[in-house]
Amino acid sequence: MASITRASVSMPSLSTSVNQSQRRISGMNSVSFPVSGRSMIPSLRLQRGLQVCCACQAKQETVDKVVAIVKKQLALPADAAVNGESKFAALGADSLDTVEIVMGLEEEFDITVEEESAQSITTVQEAADMIEKLVEK
Amino acid sequence: MASTSVSRPQILSLYRSILRTARQFTDYNIRQYSRRRAVDGFRQNGGLTDPSSISAAFSDGESQLQVVKRQAVVYSLYAPEVRSVMETYLAGKRS
Repeated sequence: MASITRASVSMPSLSTSVNQSQRRISGMNSVSFPVSGRSMIPSLRLQRGLQVCCACQAKQETVDKVVAIVKKQLALPADAAVNGESKFAALGADSLDTVEIVMGLEEEFDITVEEESAQSITTVQEAADMIEKLVEK
Repeated sequence: MASTSVSRPQILSLYRSILRTARQFTDYNIRQYSRRRAVDGFRQNGGLTDPSSISAAFSDGESQLQVVKRQAVVYSLYAPEVRSVMETYLAGKRS
């Protein structure tokens, strides 16, 4: 059951294909398809680029920004292999480094991370997902 | 002061609070100094194992947090009209 949060939507067809090119969505906040398990269900989000993207994974550019901040904090060379699955501890970060990384992410994305959520972040992907969730709000 | 030994989450929470409070300074110099001092101080004491020295360092950090909080208020009261060149540079870089 799709719920449209703003009225007056004029869209000819709601196709559920991922990776659509830009659409003009005027006066619409978000369309959500609440089903159990959010993989494989694309959700329309009014974002900066008016892009339709899949809600199952954090955006690649978010992950890239997180990776850049991690590399800068841990003074890793630019060609070090850091991807979504890298754990901070495996990259040589101690707990103080993790706090500083989370601080850097807060400044970069202009968000505020709670105490408990900040302590539970161990991998790059977790950080990116949490950022996505907080930026969405 | 807690009679039981200080736990790691408490220390990390104190670290986070100091860094967060230091971010509130509008003056570039004091902001960067607080951050640097916090990073250096926590790293320097990172190797302590004796519980009494750990709790001594922790309470020292707590009093420093209070200092930073007070100073953030004082600095905002007496903020100069002419901003430091680093503020405008950083603001320009961000936008």
